[in-house]
Amino acid sequence: MRLQLIDDTTMNDERNNPKNIGAALTAASCALLGTAVAAKAEAQELHRWFFDTALLYYGESDDRVQDLSATIGATRDFGDERSLGLTLTADTLTGASASGAIALDRPQTFTSPSGNAFYTTAAGEVPLDDTFLDTRFALNVNWSQPLGRLYNVSGGVGFSTEYDYTHLGVNLGLSRDFDKRNTTLSVGLAYSQDDIDPVGGAPLPLSQMLDVGIQSNKLSTDSKDVIDLLFGVTQVLGRSTVMRVNYSYSQSSGYLNDPYKILSVVDPVTGDTITRVPTVGLSGPDGVYLYESRPDSRAKQSLFSEVKHSFAGPVLHVSYRFMTDDWSIDSHTLETRFRWPVGSSNFIEPQLRFYTQSEAEFYRSSLVSGRALPEFASADFRLGQFDATTIGIKFGHRTAGGGEWSTRLEYYQQSGDVPEEQIIGNQSGREQYPDLSAVILQFAYRFKLQ
Amino acid sequence: MQRTRGALVIMVFALSGCANLGVEPWERDVLARPEMSLDSNPVDAALDDHIYFSKEASSGGRGFGGGGCGCN
Repeated sequence: MRLQLIDDTTMNDERNNPKNIGAALTAASCALLGTAVAAKAEAQELHRWFFDTALLYYGESDDRVQDLSATIGATRDFGDERSLGLTLTADTLTGASASGAIALDRPQTFTSPSGNAFYTTAAGEVPLDDTFLDTRFALNVNWSQPLGRLYNVSGGVGFSTEYDYTHLGVNLGLSRDFDKRNTTLSVGLAYSQDDIDPVGGAPLPLSQMLDVGIQSNKLSTDSKDVIDLLFGVTQVLGRSTVMRVNYSYSQSSGYLNDPYKILSVVDPVTGDTITRVPTVGLSGPDGVYLYESRPDSRAKQSLFSEVKHSFAGPVLHVSYRFMTDDWSIDSHTLETRFRWPVGSSNFIEPQLRFYTQSEAEFYRSSLVSGRALPEFASADFRLGQFDATTIGIKFGHRTAGGGEWSTRLEYYQQSGDVPEEQIIGNQSGREQYPDLSAVILQFAYRFKLQ
Repeated sequence: MQRTRGALVIMVFALSGCANLGVEPWERDVLARPEMSLDSNPVDAALDDHIYFSKEASSGGRGFGGGGCGCN
């Protein structure tokens, strides 16, 4: 029992270290002599709880989405590398979000998602739905422990709730160490079941936006399932370098639409939205807009690799991800961070991220009046072709008590294009793709407790 | 053809390098530092995943596909 307690103090990566073996032998001798063991056991009791907390502000320009998010992560160390992790996140979101409709030279009126009100967009502006408001709570619980000498098993459950969405997920992971723990192979499986209960109901795909108060094209709720599979290899390359490669496969099925996204139906020559007159006595859209329609399944595959290298102090972290899916979206993500120590207890870390994606095969900036409707269509800019860059810097300070606080400031910029062949008539003279920029500011504090 | 030959040369070098990969247990001083852990900032990673999941068509890679959010 006493020896076991002592062994707990030698972390997994260092358990074969001769110094530690020496320490263990010394302590074992002390145990036999009946001295110093109580002190050692007490030291072992220290730092059983580890907290990782963060407050994040995300703000888009032009009064678009603003998000304030608070996260508390707590890890309880039970010794023998067994640990319980809990993460609680609360988000509050406000602001306007692009609806998918195109800009026009005249103001446009839309029925809001609830179906009980309307909103207007000024001439020349890309329509934004400003009724966006939500609060989200998420809780994740995870358990991890060794299984024999070389295996580690983990399992977790996750739950999140927001006004129009509920998520329930489970995950399992298994890893095995090889070659003096220089190589670790891991496999993971996750399943989630999400229920969608959109404000005002889920619209029938490709049904028309109706007048305020008329809900005949809305259904109540819907759901989707997601299965994720992940295979990973972590490899120590040298004394200062470690890398990881992951292959993951994700299959989503069910309701994959964004219930709030629409497409403008336009004239084949002018490219302007077909006008519509609301029913007498009612308010409603003054153009023809259809709700989007996405396939009910999506398979994504991604290959992710990352390398961390220490230059005798400064640490370089580079990662790259390639993703491809059966909606014809391909994306590349390159991210790099360089942690530079300043003095003995501070660091600064410049961060840079590049992202590019191609558009989904059913991405349409608008639908052409008089032509047969496609089975699937979406004008959601997130399914379009765009590039994004994030540039940021993080500053961290280690406290005397072993904690660390840090602050991070980032700037995110997205700019996209509508495919040339989709631009009709007057559309070419207007802004087609609402470029997005956002500021991310984060304060974090991590500390240990007994 | 030339490209295939180039790839073969790289593969041979990479494989011969594999024999020397890894370190002895007593050479883990640098790797054992907290900042050298590949998961050294789980909260940063989770917050980033959440932001990018809601703004882009890709997610996951480092871990599971993310999600659990009506934001996309």
